[in-house]
Amino acid sequence: MKARYYIGGTIILVFLGLLFYNFTRTNIEYESDFVKVMQTGKTCKATGVWVKEKSFQEDIQNRTFVFYLRDANNNEMKVIYRGTKPNNFEIATNVVVTGKFENGVFHATDVLTKCPSKYEGQNVNTSGS
Amino acid sequence: MKKIFYIFYKDFSSELRMRFALNALIMFVVVAVSTILFSLGSESVAPNVYAGMFWVVVFFSAMSGLSRVFVSEEERGTTLILSLIANPVTVFLGKFLFNLVLIFFINSVIALLYMFLFQEFLIQNWNSFLLAYVLGNFGISASSTIIAAIISKANVKGTLYPVLAFPVLLPLILMLIEITKSAMEGNPISDVEAELLVLISYDVVMITASILVFDIIWRD
Repeated sequence: MKARYYIGGTIILVFLGLLFYNFTRTNIEYESDFVKVMQTGKTCKATGVWVKEKSFQEDIQNRTFVFYLRDANNNEMKVIYRGTKPNNFEIATNVVVTGKFENGVFHATDVLTKCPSKYEGQNVNTSGS
Repeated sequence: MKKIFYIFYKDFSSELRMRFALNALIMFVVVAVSTILFSLGSESVAPNVYAGMFWVVVFFSAMSGLSRVFVSEEERGTTLILSLIANPVTVFLGKFLFNLVLIFFINSVIALLYMFLFQEFLIQNWNSFLLAYVLGNFGISASSTIIAAIISKANVKGTLYPVLAFPVLLPLILMLIEITKSAMEGNPISDVEAELLVLISYDVVMITASILVFDIIWRD
């Protein structure tokens, strides 16, 4: 009778561990290195800076928004977002795109913009404006 | 081993005679699916919304039908006789088997209705959807059987059941929605590998824990 509880308890513990380990893996991970983003082919959140020189194209008819992102190692990536341009896109210091890299383009399902703080000191030159 | 099938058969034949759980389930599914159908109209909805609505209907139909296995024994006063005839593990496995058949049936009905009525509910990766479907049914019937055993002694059975079942079933439902969404988008099965492993471990944990705990609940 006792042995049954021990065996059952061990099975439960082992699979609970497995459950929690895999549960943490199901979250979408942040990735700041675009080389890794291009290699994995999985859904992830890529963070980068908008390449201003290449500007952006907005197609209102097809509701697509195309722009380029650059990461810290100067890797560039084309991003296609199905939707309209987010607010504050031009002044954003950082852009987080959620999506998947396919056929040389990053297909984003969500774009988050990180805006420069209003409360910075006077002498600090804000990088966004 | 044979007794498990006897208990299953007893429930099955009494269910066929009365159709208490079955009627409640089918009525619920028809009402829920037609409400969704009428409210959607011809609008196109994202896959994750469809996946969510699909499993919401499955969850609540499980809530309305699966508690019958132990509640009916309690109402008819046959609990004592059943505990004299068979040992607790056998009783649990028999009831679990019955719930499994019931949820498989009702889930197939829901899936077929969705495929007929919603043109956009298109599964592109059948492998991952069917795996999620089978593993999800096992998980739902395991946890709903043990929760049905717990609440069958309580006075307010109807409301207690979803309240207790919701936190237990939440991780399962979340994973199922994620896999269904991925299957509708046609992503390869390797994309949802982690979710499938969560489902497998959830099922194993629920079934072993239920078998261990059922002893104590049943003798109470």
